[in-house]
Amino acid sequence: MEVEQEKPSLENVQARQQEKQREGEVVIVEEEEEQQQQVEEGEENANVLQFMDSMDAYLTLIHSLSSTLRQGWLELASARHSMGASRVNTVLLDHKFHPAATTLLVTQDEGKVDSMKQHFTLCKWASSGNEKCSLGEAKSGQDKLHPQLRHRASSQLYEEKTSSEYKASHEVDDQVQKERSKSLSVFGTLVSPKLRAAQLSFETALETLVEIANTRSAVLCAFDKVNKKLGGSKG
Amino acid sequence: MASRAQIPTSNSALIAMIADEDTVVGFLLAGVGNVDLRRKTNYLIVDSKTTVKQIEDAFKEFTAREDIAVVLISQYVANMIRFLVDSYNKPVPAILEIPSKDHPYDPAHDSVLSRVKYLFSAESVASGRR
Repeated sequence: MEVEQEKPSLENVQARQQEKQREGEVVIVEEEEEQQQQVEEGEENANVLQFMDSMDAYLTLIHSLSSTLRQGWLELASARHSMGASRVNTVLLDHKFHPAATTLLVTQDEGKVDSMKQHFTLCKWASSGNEKCSLGEAKSGQDKLHPQLRHRASSQLYEEKTSSEYKASHEVDDQVQKERSKSLSVFGTLVSPKLRAAQLSFETALETLVEIANTRSAVLCAFDKVNKKLGGSKG
Repeated sequence: MASRAQIPTSNSALIAMIADEDTVVGFLLAGVGNVDLRRKTNYLIVDSKTTVKQIEDAFKEFTAREDIAVVLISQYVANMIRFLVDSYNKPVPAILEIPSKDHPYDPAHDSVLSRVKYLFSAESVASGRR
């Protein structure tokens, strides 16, 4: 009699254990789903933030470009006023064969294999094989001339290295100045300083435009990601 | 891999311009001007005598050329061929709308902003323009 009473209690215990195990599994699955949802929400928030940041950068750059162009137009108008309208005219433009001195380097974003995001780099005054694709190239040699970096042990070697870099950066600057003068020579040998200032303003505008081009592709890329998520949530 | 279009990478791609005289002269001073062996230039100067057809043809030519990476177009000129500019969706060459001397930048007509505008309001882009 006692043995028969023990059997149902053992079965009950086993049944309860199985129930608890099932409940435990359900809880684990729910926790995993919750974690995955949190990760997805985090990714969505990151995409939206990236989109808003790139939009803000785009608008800021557009405003900067507007003010740079205004300055350039004003300087051009001053040059036309001092040199005469006939000397600053599109009639004087060179229609003989000549390659562009300022070009762009286009590369594909290497972040993702299937990314459609492209990257533009400005190469200013790149004719005659002298490419100045990075704005920091000419400055890097000058930065190393900082006197605090000199040590007695390698001072001579360091001085030789810095002087050669200094000469190289000077050569690059000279070449750039030659290209600038060549571009100005279309409007005559002696040009107004305002025309030179206009040239520099439009060079700055070009740099801003390249940044705008890169930011534009970032905006469209981020927009596509946000749009996909919205489309997925609606569907 | 063959089905997905590749972005052409280029070591020395050009910047094309469709803009007013002062803007074109300014950027030519910055060294952007290119004349090839057939005496074709990478710019079109838009004035009062320039027709919409000429602007359309220049836009189509510059966007079809493989050696051009960016097309700068004055916003007021882009408004004349808005349907062409908005229907263009290739990554390269990139179309950048710039302000002009007589027509300041208007964000309402920017093609990039008009594409993303609907995320900020309940109206669609098409209904916003009507």
